[in-house]
Amino acid sequence: MERVFNIFQQAGAAVRAFKLRTFFCLASIALGISSITIIVAATEGAYQRAFEIVDRFGPDSLMVLGGSETTRAVGHREKTITLEHVRAVEEAFSSAYLVVPMTSQGNIIASHRDRRLQTRVIGSTHDYSQAWTWPVIEGSDLTENDVKGLRNVALLGHEVVETLFGQESPVGKYVFVNRIPTQVVGVLASRGTSPAGHNLDNRIIMPITTVMRKIQNETRYINNFRIRFVDANRMENHEQELRSFLRQLQGTPEGAPDDFRIISPTEIIRFLVALTGSLVAFLGIVGVMSLVVAGFVLANLFLLSVKERTREIGVRRSVGAKKSDIRFQFLCEAVLITSLGGVAGFALGFAGAQLLTTMADFPMHFSWRAFAVGLGLSWTVGILFGLQPASRAANLKPIEALRA
Amino acid sequence: MPLCSLKNIRKSYSLGQEEVEILRGISLEIQEGEFVALMGPSGSGKTTLMNIIGCLDVPTTGEYIFAGQKVSGLTDDELSIFRNEHMGFVFQNFHLLPYANVLENVLLPTLYVSGKKEGAPLKRARELLKLVGLEDRERFKPSQLSGGQQQRVAIARALVNDPRLILADEPTGQLDSSTAREIMDLLQKMGHGGKTVMVITHDLATAAYAERKVHMQDGLVSG
Ligand SMILES: Nc1ncnc2c1ncn2[C@@H]1O[C@H](COP(=O)(O)OP(=O)(O)OP(=O)(O)O)[C@@H](O)[C@H]1O
Ligand SMILES: [Mg+2]
Repeated sequence: MERVFNIFQQAGAAVRAFKLRTFFCLASIALGISSITIIVAATEGAYQRAFEIVDRFGPDSLMVLGGSETTRAVGHREKTITLEHVRAVEEAFSSAYLVVPMTSQGNIIASHRDRRLQTRVIGSTHDYSQAWTWPVIEGSDLTENDVKGLRNVALLGHEVVETLFGQESPVGKYVFVNRIPTQVVGVLASRGTSPAGHNLDNRIIMPITTVMRKIQNETRYINNFRIRFVDANRMENHEQELRSFLRQLQGTPEGAPDDFRIISPTEIIRFLVALTGSLVAFLGIVGVMSLVVAGFVLANLFLLSVKERTREIGVRRSVGAKKSDIRFQFLCEAVLITSLGGVAGFALGFAGAQLLTTMADFPMHFSWRAFAVGLGLSWTVGILFGLQPASRAANLKPIEALRA
Repeated sequence: MPLCSLKNIRKSYSLGQEEVEILRGISLEIQEGEFVALMGPSGSGKTTLMNIIGCLDVPTTGEYIFAGQKVSGLTDDELSIFRNEHMGFVFQNFHLLPYANVLENVLLPTLYVSGKKEGAPLKRARELLKLVGLEDRERFKPSQLSGGQQQRVAIARALVNDPRLILADEPTGQLDSSTAREIMDLLQKMGHGGKTVMVITHDLATAAYAERKVHMQDGLVSG
């Protein structure tokens, strides 16, 4: 044990003594490890972000959008879902505790005194806050009577409040929505941007009846509805049941595509992971390649070093070092350098990730796992590429090494 | 019982097709405590013989017994342990580690001691540095020392594990005559302290320190 420690110390001394070798090996390892670190952090960040979003979306939720996914592009989907469909679903699915219809209309001008804002109006029932687990921070949610009575009342998103009211409290005051005077009843908590880049805080929520009749001039069709189930563990079954129920309801013939689209938590995760996937793949290739390059740099510099230190090896052998002692020393030197490279790479990756996050709002999450993966890989490179030079050093004949 | 007993030692190298015999049947005994000078013309096989005696190399054929133990047939690891415990080498060009300081160089053999360590190596290293007159140079790098001082460090290193045999291959070859005398005085002091010393030299003044001279010629011991 003491011998192991002694040799390790000798390796440390050599790492300090041969600075140029240490520097080049360390730098090349650090580059590779930094991209690996970013990959791990990005992957973890993506998953974390995905689960956060699913948490907001509701792991027990499905959302049904009108229009076929395959035949119509986003934004041009026709409305194919009616309030009757929603009512039928509500009656048929006792497994659901909440069914909320929704409609929405973009490019709406909202104004208060001399302040104006282009925004989106969402038509919802009284359960909006609950359906989206989106707290009302001031005032109150829409009521059943608001919906029944087609009242001109609204919940405002955070940005709408800031633009139209500044620091003032908007509750009880009036805004013009599409020239309709509307009383503000509540304010929603700030929610930032959606993963697709939509600003979630620039929106106005009004009773669905009011929006359909007075803004959209629509009697039947809505944009989508949201359904939440009691048992979140059976979401796949629920999705199947809902799909066949809606197909029957809309009279879609066997084999024809759905004329609606169901968005589920798993689908959201899939989308988000795919979004991160391209960056991960790119950095993955870069990272692995630079690690392999770093490995070859290390192997070559170590072979040179063994040549340069042939006498040292001879001297060590003459005073009693075994082959295994020499091999162990050079391996220790390699692993010591790559470990330092790993730590430097982690720091570099951390800085790089900070840059990516500020520049592109990329989700990053650093945990011990990113560090462990980096360190593990740097050890692997050190052992893998250090082994050959170390064995060459160990197998030198003492007398020949001394004569060098 | 002699410390070293060599019987009909042969060593040959194959150079391409040709087999060149460097040592051609050497039989030699060295007694414990002897101070031996190994002399002979260049290329006669002195270094080759010393390497075999020091267990740095193995003979092609022949029997070598050190302190009653048969050396021929030991594995590479066993030879390493043998060198570590029993042999102290002093080389013509010192062979100190350039990046280690004086004290670290002296301590080098103690790092490879197998099993339990006897005594405190650091204390012993400092004693030896005092003995060779370099106690105030502990932290110096070899490059900061003169040739004579470097050779003293090498002698301290050779002694640190308390070996039975000191093997010096032209230890004064790189030194001027007065420094050479100092080094030889030091080795002689070791000899008087009970160590067995073997010195290869071309220099008669150096050889004069020896109690016994062994002459080599064409791979054979003469006289
Ligand atoms: N590995 C080897 N392969 C081939 N020949 C060798 C090898 N090692 C030594 N020799 C040859 O063996 C002969 C004896 O070498 P050795 O070094 O023992 O001589 P020496 O008596 O120490 O000479 P010097 O006084 O010059 O040091 C030389 O001719 C040398 O060329
Ligand atoms: Mg020689």
